[in-house]
Amino acid sequence: MKTVALNIISSAKIYAPQKLENLDEKRLAPNMMMRRRLTRNSKVMLFLSDKCGFENGKIVYGSCFSELEETAKIANAVLEEGMLSPTSFQNSVYNTAPSYFSLINKDTDEIITISSGMKTSLDTLKTAALQALVSGEKVLCVCVECINIKNIEEINRCTKFLEAGVAVVLEIAKDESEAKEIELLHVEGIMDSLQDLMSVANMYENGIRKIKVEL
Amino acid sequence: MKSYINNYELWCNAGDTKSLMKAVYAKESALVEDTTFLKEATAGLGIMKYDDIYSLMSEVVSKVLKSSNLTDFKNTLLILGSSVGGMQECEDIFYSQKSYKNIDPNKYSMNALSDYLLKEFSFYDSRSISTACTSSANALLLAKRLINVKAYENVLVVGADGLCNSTVLGFHALSVLSDKKCRPFDTKRNGMNVAEAVAVLLVQNFKTNDSVELKGVGASSDAYHMTNPNPEALGAIDSMKDAIKDANLELNEIDYVNAHGTATLANDKVEALAVEKLFGKSVHVNSTKAITGHTLGAAGAVEAIISCEVIKHGLVPAQTGLETLDNKNINVSKESVKMEVRNIVSNSFAFGGNNTSIVLGVCT
Repeated sequence: MKTVALNIISSAKIYAPQKLENLDEKRLAPNMMMRRRLTRNSKVMLFLSDKCGFENGKIVYGSCFSELEETAKIANAVLEEGMLSPTSFQNSVYNTAPSYFSLINKDTDEIITISSGMKTSLDTLKTAALQALVSGEKVLCVCVECINIKNIEEINRCTKFLEAGVAVVLEIAKDESEAKEIELLHVEGIMDSLQDLMSVANMYENGIRKIKVEL
Repeated sequence: MKSYINNYELWCNAGDTKSLMKAVYAKESALVEDTTFLKEATAGLGIMKYDDIYSLMSEVVSKVLKSSNLTDFKNTLLILGSSVGGMQECEDIFYSQKSYKNIDPNKYSMNALSDYLLKEFSFYDSRSISTACTSSANALLLAKRLINVKAYENVLVVGADGLCNSTVLGFHALSVLSDKKCRPFDTKRNGMNVAEAVAVLLVQNFKTNDSVELKGVGASSDAYHMTNPNPEALGAIDSMKDAIKDANLELNEIDYVNAHGTATLANDKVEALAVEKLFGKSVHVNSTKAITGHTLGAAGAVEAIISCEVIKHGLVPAQTGLETLDNKNINVSKESVKMEVRNIVSNSFAFGGNNTSIVLGVCT
């Protein structure tokens, strides 16, 4: 198995017990029609990528539950034998958020979406490291969970924060000197699927700029 | 380090790999016209015969393990590509109980399938990818890159998707479902057929007498529209070009394009344009979705297996369901063509303008 050293160039994180406010949507998605179609995950991803200063390039996006709100809308429409919204269906796929990012930023580069349960953010980081290694480019690694849907209390046993996300921009380091193993710097109450990347963002905030990741 | 596909097997509406290839060359579509999913209309669907997706995956993976040089998967990375994951089971619970209470969140998401296989076969590690209809093509993309950089010696790629109410009804809401067996690239095509499949490929860093080389991978984003492809076919062209460049091949070294070819008006028009702009009539092109239907997240893996078989048979299949070719500037044949097939481009395109192409070929 292979380990690589990564430079962390920037990071951002955000979370809220219910709904995240002030995601700066009007500036980040100035086209009103486009903005109205954005899912919660898309809005959070746009916010985080902007905070990281990432406008264009390869993206590796991770989410365990992805577009839960759109999926719930579809399931309820089927149950009630109502009309299914084409927009809800197209917005229900796991790559919706980075796809909206690509539309808004005219980013024609590669997008990979990872959904590996509670180790989603670790696998997203590993995949972003691979993409950085193969391309020699900077890569946006971003994970988002938005599960703030009606009746979520029936099933939520894993988080105090119904909307949360974390992102880093990374590149391959020229050497492994002073590269740190990922420390467990979790944010209590955040869904486990985000915690590994949350730890990397916290390491960055603590001044650590180089980490080691096994591919 | 080069990558080789050394073993594979699948299960789809046409059966296993052997039965599927028999159907492909006989031009016998395995699709059915079904009235159970849509009350107000008939839908062409590709429905498998199986108990549940978990035991089916287990069976197909076991076959691949048995045919391989491995005794177990302890040194193998599992990469799953799926668009619905464990949705089937969760839908059933929600529709019958009208509540989320008894849904196990661990069985809802993509990793429900990979976690099951991880436990069942003790893989070194697993990860699951979900980029809609490019999911398992992207799993192959990552497998190749991981082997190329010597991170792994063995990667098992699994593409798996079962039929769900939400996908069939969702595609119906988008008005892209055909009520008949689909007819890719035909002037009278009227949409796609949703289908299901499990397809498994073992990618390794050494070749055998029976290997097919995974030579190149490429991916792009349209950055145009969530469901409609770029009308100038720029994204599709980019992913094919990138894959061919990655394979260190020239355009004239490609013999066949196994198209995404869903038989929707938009996809086939744009994909035909992409092939026309890139190759003209110099390559054979067709879509085997006329036999299998669109197996969504599993499609990339299914069509990679079909491509391996086409190379081994030296026989490019005819386009099933074709009467009148829409774009006359590409080479879609109504009859199978016996020839040496050196290299194949297999395309997968998805919602969000996500494009992935892979190049498979005779080992060098």
